[in-house]
Amino acid sequence: MIWRVVALISGALAILAGALLSAHVGPMEAIRTLLHGSLGSPAAIGGTLRETSPLLIAGLAVFIALRAGLFNIGVEGQLLCGAASCTYVALKIPNVAGMLLGILVGMLAGALWALPAGLIKAYRNGHEVITTIMLNNVALYLTSALVSGPLKEKGQQDTTTATVADATRLPWIYNHPPVQVNIALIVGVLAAFALAIWLKKTVAGYQLQAAGANPTAAKFAGISTARTTLLAMTVSGAIGGLAGAMQVLAYEGRFYDGFSPGYGFDALGVALLAGSNPLGVLPSSLLFGILAKGGIALQIDGVPKGITTVVLGFLILIAAVVRYRKVNTVA
Amino acid sequence: MLSLLLLTVALSTPLILAAMGGFTSERGGVINIGLEGMMLMAACADALASPKFGPVGGLLIGIFAAVCISLLHWLVTQIYKIDHVISGMALNAIAAGGTNFMHLKFTDEAHKGSVPNFPTWVFYILAFVIPIVLWGYVRQTRGGLRLLAVGSDPDKARLMGVQPMRVRFFGLLATGVLTGIAGVELVAYTGVFTDNMTAGRGYIALAALILGGWRPLPALGACLAFGFFSALQVQLQGTPVFGISIPAEMWAALPYLVTIVALAGFLGKNRTPAGLGRA
Repeated sequence: MIWRVVALISGALAILAGALLSAHVGPMEAIRTLLHGSLGSPAAIGGTLRETSPLLIAGLAVFIALRAGLFNIGVEGQLLCGAASCTYVALKIPNVAGMLLGILVGMLAGALWALPAGLIKAYRNGHEVITTIMLNNVALYLTSALVSGPLKEKGQQDTTTATVADATRLPWIYNHPPVQVNIALIVGVLAAFALAIWLKKTVAGYQLQAAGANPTAAKFAGISTARTTLLAMTVSGAIGGLAGAMQVLAYEGRFYDGFSPGYGFDALGVALLAGSNPLGVLPSSLLFGILAKGGIALQIDGVPKGITTVVLGFLILIAAVVRYRKVNTVA
Repeated sequence: MLSLLLLTVALSTPLILAAMGGFTSERGGVINIGLEGMMLMAACADALASPKFGPVGGLLIGIFAAVCISLLHWLVTQIYKIDHVISGMALNAIAAGGTNFMHLKFTDEAHKGSVPNFPTWVFYILAFVIPIVLWGYVRQTRGGLRLLAVGSDPDKARLMGVQPMRVRFFGLLATGVLTGIAGVELVAYTGVFTDNMTAGRGYIALAALILGGWRPLPALGACLAFGFFSALQVQLQGTPVFGISIPAEMWAALPYLVTIVALAGFLGKNRTPAGLGRA
């Protein structure tokens, strides 16, 4: 088995090196640029942490569903719904109450957006991957229609909402520009610990993991797999919505067309690399954050950013091969 | 009226070709959400190659690019036995990033905007012939029946002496060829490659395949229906229907909504191949 993994890794490296060399970029130089751009200076580290923040929370969303044996590819859509609804609330109530309510509404919107996929999986045995892909696209068009219609700021050319008042936004815990760390990152870290405790110490968490590890055994042990499926999907959706709400209140301050550059999809890679412990999401989201921020540095250096996406794709494949994790996906 | 019909055919063609690619993969039991990436790869390769090698060379290189991705899918799902969905997602990422890299780095500025290609009617004809050929193939030939057998129950197929791994190799080879043609058609239709130009067509094709109950001719019908709605949206351009103006986004979201309803089991019985996703 080990030589196969080695073969795959060397194949991936050869493809990447070949692509870089044919574009007249030295691979070592590209790696140096990437690391320097993401970790080389305080400003770069601040940027990396900012990129990490949504990936961490969205990664947790995918992770929790994965523990129950479900692929929540719909985090992208849940994030968009959470972000749009949170922006709406935060604009209506421009104070701290609006911030807290916005977060709650965002989580609720995310959970509701994941619910159909959970229901169809639990009671109709429809594959959650397909339903969540479809829901993603519906969410994309729905939020796009909302910001170009009812939620659009008056007199604004671009399809964007108005900007949320400063009082409604999440505070910075370390604010010495160029380095800024938002409380959203701390929320993400705390959420990872909370999930770790929930999965380990509570009955519901145990049942959820049991159903994910072996649905048949779980059923014979008296665990309702329909209920754990619904629970996992709604919790996952709520965290996905939280990721969107945090992104609005911490960094973006508004919702606009093209809000997410694919956080939900990157989050799938984050969760797959994380292993079986929620705390594993912390380093894996940091790795994705480094790649995202370093990709921008590469872009400035004339290397298209897409190369980092290729790296992520291969990382996901290799992680899946190494872990030999066959999640039950029989429709 | 005629222009609406023509537009329907034009917009359905890439969907049909990609859906047939999904058919040869999924009926063999390999879940394939990588259709999007395969199309994208083919489109990019064609746009880069046709200015140098002409339409035929562009088509062949485009197909080759899509086949590379689909055989990588075969390799990791069948040999390494990783989950089909993970592989599909990873391949979509590789294709999206890879095409972004390739077209920014290698596009010949002199040929930007005018990629030589086949006339689009060639693809329209293929889009109607291929589903019929596939329909006959899976019912009447040994290879086709083997594909269905492997997709329905890989273990039983193995007992009968049919190697799922081998059958799926040819299934995914066909997937690469068909999604490759679909990707090349996109470039032939628009004349250029743009970043992420498939814009979810791979997923709509998958939706059509599911709506068609994993059968070629009903899937063809579903693609035509989706194409018709997009054509209608283009022609209406926000003109009110019965006094209500429907946002363009609603039309665009319609295929996905219908598929969700179908998956909920409200439209006919569940026809998912029983061996889908199994080793």
